[in-house]
Amino acid sequence: MTDDKDVLRDVWFGRIPTCFTLYQDEITEREAEPYYLLLPRISYLTLVTDKVKKHFQKVMRQEEVSEIWFEYEGTPLKWHYPIGLLFDLHASNTALPWSITVHFKNFPEKDLLHCHSKDVIEAHFMACIKEADALKHKSQVINEMQKKDHKQLWMGLQNDKFEQFWAINRKLMEYPPEDNGFRYIPFRIYQATTERPFIQKLFRPIASGGQLHTLGDLLKDVCPSAVAPEAGDLRFFMHCTHVAMCSHRIYHLDKGQVKRDKKEGEIKSQRGVMWLVPGHTERMPICKRDTFANTFFGFANTFFGWIKVVS
Amino acid sequence: MLEGTSGDHPVQPQPRQGHLEQMTQGRVQIPCSMAGEEDFVLEEKRFKQHCEEFVKHSQQIGDGWEWRTSKDLGDGYLSKTHFQVRNRHIAQDLREKTNDNIEETLLAHVEESLDDSQVAGVCTTEEVIRYEYHVLYSSSYQVPVLYFRACFLDGRPLTLEEIWGSVHACYQDRLQEGPWDTITQQEHPILGQPFFVLHPCRTNEFISTVLTGPWKHNRHKNYIILWLSTVGPVVGLSVPLSYAKVAPEQNSSTDSAESSSASSLPGLTFQYFAYLPYFAMRICAEREVLGHC
Repeated sequence: MTDDKDVLRDVWFGRIPTCFTLYQDEITEREAEPYYLLLPRISYLTLVTDKVKKHFQKVMRQEEVSEIWFEYEGTPLKWHYPIGLLFDLHASNTALPWSITVHFKNFPEKDLLHCHSKDVIEAHFMACIKEADALKHKSQVINEMQKKDHKQLWMGLQNDKFEQFWAINRKLMEYPPEDNGFRYIPFRIYQATTERPFIQKLFRPIASGGQLHTLGDLLKDVCPSAVAPEAGDLRFFMHCTHVAMCSHRIYHLDKGQVKRDKKEGEIKSQRGVMWLVPGHTERMPICKRDTFANTFFGFANTFFGWIKVVS
Repeated sequence: MLEGTSGDHPVQPQPRQGHLEQMTQGRVQIPCSMAGEEDFVLEEKRFKQHCEEFVKHSQQIGDGWEWRTSKDLGDGYLSKTHFQVRNRHIAQDLREKTNDNIEETLLAHVEESLDDSQVAGVCTTEEVIRYEYHVLYSSSYQVPVLYFRACFLDGRPLTLEEIWGSVHACYQDRLQEGPWDTITQQEHPILGQPFFVLHPCRTNEFISTVLTGPWKHNRHKNYIILWLSTVGPVVGLSVPLSYAKVAPEQNSSTDSAESSSASSLPGLTFQYFAYLPYFAMRICAEREVLGHC
């Protein structure tokens, strides 16, 4: 995976400029200034907003403060989703900075999980990692690791330490040379508009004939209505990557190579979001947006897989 | 777990003395005869069939389970709601208590004399709690998973600490070994709302030990009944003995004498008692371990 390292670093260090504003009905002793922060895409809201909390608590009385929660345009933000996912799902079409409203009262019990301590976040994160490994390796790799390795994954995430994290995570991203890929691909397809939070199904990276499956194959299998011609052009995001979809397959779900072609296949960096333009021989339009524009494609163990471009 | 005696089941294995200790330390030492047996995988189709069978029996005995299908993808889950009355000998908010305190308090309830006035600062209240249980299928682990939520009649949901505290005393040891690996709050995969979940990652461990080797005959029994009767009581859900009568799948290798009678239940019970690596084992044969907290 050494070739992919800069891609991995780009994903890890992706940031979203955010403006936090206190909800107007919160009771304050003096005016609350908004708080600006660069949020890491690869983390969780409640893990990285201690400063935000402290900032607003300074202007509030103790008794007015209970569990913090965040909301964007009326929608409570699920802290247990990666920040990058939340942004891509709810706010990718709006101008930066991302405006988030901070609440300290009336916790929405029906919408949000509680997060009373960092232990909750760690438990959730590790559960995601374990579930992804159940799919990739029948849990063999994660179970063979020692507790201290699990801790290192968590500390790497918590302290934003790329090397520390990937020293362990790379083991979760490998497979034996005789296999051609993971047992099943850990993925989830999120849509902002449905009650069901995400679509997750078993999907093998290799077809029975031995050929590698593509992203298009997966989408056809898992949400056929999304790729039907009458659905129009679609836009898919993967972590922070806008993946253009066209009729010529092109992507492998693999440990990940991204084609760095100067003309087509060029990787553009724009506002912290990576845009991937597919390289292929026929000219195909970049997909236009429609109701499925909010579909987000990500990995169940959150953002540690990648996409390969095949021209 | 279902109440029963050790019974007169003809093929009843006796675990070796040290075996149980090994298992209660949380690591399963699977006997050599079982190593190399194929994983028992519950496919989604089979999960649905067994749920259907389960619901049919539930309807016959009025146990309140129903199957709900999701409109968009056609998958679904089992659902049951029931109300439970709990006696509390505590005056203050449970939230402030650690798990140790909760266990002490709950056990004190058993040992205490009837004269509460002797205990300073404590009063008895009765609370009604509404429990909603869902059984979903996990394609990642290929096992069923138990989701549940609980709230008081005024709508206030129970906190995670209160849920941990309400786990039966028999299972508190195991819970306290790793509460974050056992019961946590998670998003319901179909409804998208917060529920508590009993973690499924160890399900395969204990289920495969009751489905392989000497207990291969269990494979034709209803997986949901086997599984739910074991995990349900941990979180206050009882599975009436009547489910043991559910006729197994038609199978040419079935031993009809043993499979159709309710007396196969005690054997099953013993197997669970003997091979439950998931939970710290205190054999509660005397007590009815049916989730009365």
